[in-house]
Amino acid sequence: MKFYDLHVYSSFANGQPTLEQLAQTAKELDYHGICYVVYFEGKEREKIVETQIKEVSRKIGIEILLGLKARNVKELNFLAGLRRDFDLLLVKGGNLDLNRAAVETPEVDILAHPELGRLDSGFNHVLAKLAAKNNVAIEMNFREILTSSKRSRSLILAHMRENVKLAKKYHVPIVLCSGAISNWELRDPQVIIFMANQLGLELKEAKECISTIPENIINRARERRDEKFIMPGVRVVK
Amino acid sequence: MRQVKKLKIVLSTLREKERYVKFKIISQEPIIYSDLEDAILNTFLDFYGEQGFSSLSFWIMKDLYDEENQTLVVRCNHKSVSQVIAGLGLISRLGDSRVIFKILKVSGSIKGLKPA
Repeated sequence: MKFYDLHVYSSFANGQPTLEQLAQTAKELDYHGICYVVYFEGKEREKIVETQIKEVSRKIGIEILLGLKARNVKELNFLAGLRRDFDLLLVKGGNLDLNRAAVETPEVDILAHPELGRLDSGFNHVLAKLAAKNNVAIEMNFREILTSSKRSRSLILAHMRENVKLAKKYHVPIVLCSGAISNWELRDPQVIIFMANQLGLELKEAKECISTIPENIINRARERRDEKFIMPGVRVVK
Repeated sequence: MRQVKKLKIVLSTLREKERYVKFKIISQEPIIYSDLEDAILNTFLDFYGEQGFSSLSFWIMKDLYDEENQTLVVRCNHKSVSQVIAGLGLISRLGDSRVIFKILKVSGSIKGLKPA
């Protein structure tokens, strides 16, 4: 089974270690691929990052994708227009308006931690229906659980459990990610699977959330970057 | 010499089904066993509470600790394997060293954990 972690940072974004260290640790933990997430800081910087990704990917022997993360609605609309320039589009959840805009945009691949910094789960049946319609995956971020404790951790777990319940009911894809900002925050896929199992996913579903669903997202991203692609369902055949 | 009375062994059908989880500790610096034991027990007690921890039938197999490869085996009942593995993932530090737990194998017997 191929495991993917679609949400990791490195020194180019906010984290401390280099991409090489991250890729090395991910390889050691039996990941088949990771998505290296950065914030948009101009097209030139994006090209530098992409070159580095190719270099590290070849050196370590692990699949690395480039993901861009939108922090507000304006940035999201801008990045949705540049969708062909990078692999995955993630949205930093937590803000209700941004959560809504993310699930309404078909160009978005993942809505990351919709419950971040909130006293509610940040996701309801209305958003769930929209997410299912536009095929936007909801992320369960392990780092949120890892870095919190006591009351805040129990709140996060309760919100995640609620989101899982809604996602299962409305057939919203779920992805399990480490959300690591350092190679020491990466976790064994089995640990993430069993934690998701604690949050209400069946073992088989949890395995799909870290292997099949991310793989489908990656395939869709590759298709989107293809020259023959026009829009979902439409491509040049001749 | 005073003899210690031993309990009669419980019938195999009434005994709890055990699972052994073998894992490797990837760390920045070599780790000390006592730090590892403290971290595991404290994390589990914090996360599952006393009542929840008691239902895991959790036991650290100290004699199976391999200092060279930094591998350890823990025992739990067959219903709580997922809780044990999820709980191990919540340990991020041992003393001053940052750590990652890599699950190597889950088996019903110690013999099954040995490489073929």
